[in-house]
Amino acid sequence: MRITQSMLANNMLKQITRSYEKLDQYQTQLSTGKKITRPSDDPVVAMKGIAYRSNLAEVEQFKRNFSEAYNWVENSDSALDKATQALQRIRELVVQASNDTYEETQRQAIAKEVRQLTEHLVTIANTKVGDKYIFNGAQTTEPPVTVNADGTITVSTNDQQLNIELAKGVYIPVNIPPSTAFGAGNGLFSDLQDLAASLENASTTGDELTGYLDKLDNHLTHLLGVRAELGARMNRIELMEDRIDGQQVIAEKMLSDNEDVDLEKVITDLKTQESVHRAALAVGARIIQPTLVDFLR
Amino acid sequence: MLSTFHGLEAARRAMMAQQAALYTTGHNIANANTEGYTRQRVQLEATTPFPTPGLNRPNIPGQMGTGVEAASVERVREYFLDIQYRGENSKLGYWEARADAVAKMEDIMNEPSDSGLAKTMDQFWQALQDLSTHPENEGARSVVRQRGLAVVETFHYLSNSLTQIRTDIGTQIGVTVTKINSILDQISKLNAQIAEIEPNGYLPNDLYDERDRLVDELSKFIDIQVEKHPVGGNALPAAEGTYDVYILNGNEKVYLVQGRTASSISFPDGSDVDDDGVRETPPDTGVGALDIGGTAVSFSNLPSGKLRGLIEGYGYYENGANGNVEGLYPEMLANLDKLAYTFGTLFNAVHEQGYGLNGNTGLAFFSGLDQVNGAAKTIALASDIDDLDNIAAATRDKESGNGNNAINLANVRSLLLSNTTVSLQDGISVDLASLGLPLTSGTIETNYQGWIGQLGVAGEQANRMKSNSETLRQSVEERRQSVSAVSLDEEMMNMIKFQHAYNAAARQITAIDEMLDKIINGMGVVGR
Repeated sequence: MRITQSMLANNMLKQITRSYEKLDQYQTQLSTGKKITRPSDDPVVAMKGIAYRSNLAEVEQFKRNFSEAYNWVENSDSALDKATQALQRIRELVVQASNDTYEETQRQAIAKEVRQLTEHLVTIANTKVGDKYIFNGAQTTEPPVTVNADGTITVSTNDQQLNIELAKGVYIPVNIPPSTAFGAGNGLFSDLQDLAASLENASTTGDELTGYLDKLDNHLTHLLGVRAELGARMNRIELMEDRIDGQQVIAEKMLSDNEDVDLEKVITDLKTQESVHRAALAVGARIIQPTLVDFLR
Repeated sequence: MLSTFHGLEAARRAMMAQQAALYTTGHNIANANTEGYTRQRVQLEATTPFPTPGLNRPNIPGQMGTGVEAASVERVREYFLDIQYRGENSKLGYWEARADAVAKMEDIMNEPSDSGLAKTMDQFWQALQDLSTHPENEGARSVVRQRGLAVVETFHYLSNSLTQIRTDIGTQIGVTVTKINSILDQISKLNAQIAEIEPNGYLPNDLYDERDRLVDELSKFIDIQVEKHPVGGNALPAAEGTYDVYILNGNEKVYLVQGRTASSISFPDGSDVDDDGVRETPPDTGVGALDIGGTAVSFSNLPSGKLRGLIEGYGYYENGANGNVEGLYPEMLANLDKLAYTFGTLFNAVHEQGYGLNGNTGLAFFSGLDQVNGAAKTIALASDIDDLDNIAAATRDKESGNGNNAINLANVRSLLLSNTTVSLQDGISVDLASLGLPLTSGTIETNYQGWIGQLGVAGEQANRMKSNSETLRQSVEERRQSVSAVSLDEEMMNMIKFQHAYNAAARQITAIDEMLDKIINGMGVVGR
């Protein structure tokens, strides 16, 4: 084949351009840390990339939902713990008062304390976390327990479950409905009010007061049951969080495996390309050969 | 009997011929870097020997040579390589245009990234999940509204940007067509000049070069065929004649250049932006057919080349004006419309069944979804949503803490569009069949991912084919250069060769001169 100077020069230029293109590609990969910057670099990686990102975003959202679930369950549990303590105290007072040797004034004092503790229980039932009442089902903007003008106490019947999605399609109830916690109608509060009224009544006998102990014990057992369920729910949420944590790691790994560059490989490639480029330039310096012109007088 | 001055004449001819060759060598060196220049050679031929047969021929031992003449100056070129080059060049033009169109689209779609439509939608779904855990919270509602706004604006941005690029491609088609028409005109004028020179027995080599360069340039825009047409008269056998340039419309040849007349390319329904009497800019609806010198050529018969590549980006009808507009940009725009319509309509269908904080129900979240066509540009947030309490996070009325409909809304992302009815939480169900959605398979997300995948595949193919045809064109170009390019060494060699021959011929004259001197001045002086 007949080769001319201009062909050498053109070829040289083409090769150096190609070499620059490769250098550019490796440098982009290094500086972005990604194998691809546009879908046409690798359509499959691009498509998977979008899906993995969505996947990861979803998992991260579930992680965020977990803290909400913990918030609900822990606050409910701590409120019910306080309620149990208050009931324990009332029970002790009733044991004291059921002793017939207690005078009327002493019983009056106990009645006052019972009334105070009842009010305390009302505030516990109306616990507000952030801007929501946690014991009023879906009606989180209104208190579940109201003290009426005549002194009677009403517990709402908003027994809806509040669910939080903690994994794809898995909805966990996070609240304790008011009637479960404090008993609707003739529940806890009416019993306590009856108890206070009995204590204030001078004709009440010690045996009659002892009758309330059974009722109080029932309420205590019931609260304990509710708290046991909360604990179990907490366990379940923790187990699920473990699983979601695992999923997050997997999702991040898949995303990274799919589109992140293997730094060692790219740096090696870049180094190789650099030496190829140097060689190309060195060869380039040689293509401008002397021609016959140089030797003719 | 030979003439006394026979040797002088032969030497004179030699000097003339070598001089011509030396001048041509100079011309070659001068044009060593001229694009499209073909090295030229003087064809040296021995002149007719003496004597020629005849009755009165002198009786001498044999025919004597009478010297040399420069018969013609010809180009050293291989026509077959030109045909190959033009074929590869038009493929390169086509794939370059396509790769460029895809690359611009990729820039706009910006996927995969942390700022594309997919990410914006992900954030919207996340905001809805957050709302489901805090349905009574003003802040969570506000975030949902703002993220919804971001989704709407991303749809607008993508659709408007793609439309803008498509318009730019339309302008580019106009410029290309004007350029093609100008080249056709120049070729026809060169044909005319050549047709006037050749019958006189000359070879207009530099006009040939210019014409071949123009045809090369033309071949990048459109894959043309060239037919040579002898001009007659006293033309030399090496004369190339005029070029007829044509494309095939089915089996019929449609001439772009025929001898001295050039046709122009235009779009029948197009517009004449530069006011030169040619409708060079394609119609907004897409290209169904081209008009070439009065003949309608349907798009499907348009050969490969940059023009076809551009039109495929811009939009075309495969089967006349009745078919759907196809092409990269119209299809992606239509897909975005379908996505915006499906997304908005489905979201509304769920939203309308929920209850706002104020008990309002039956309200749409998105508006501007009257028709699929153009939905990506018209989709907007419904004015009702300006009141954040209207966002229907609850599945039942008067339940401020109920965020189940927000969960339902967040799950719109993964609804299988092939289902007829979908049941969601708290007895809410969506009858997909009655919504008449334009997308009926996969989910909203997978459809979008699929299109990005398709775009990537189209781009990958275009880039690969572009680099392939570039390599092929390069190798043909190399072979062509190998034949036609000027080699300085070679020209130097020739220069020395011709110079020496010239000097030798001059020396020959001196020798004959001395000989004649002997005869004229030295003879018959013996003893003087």
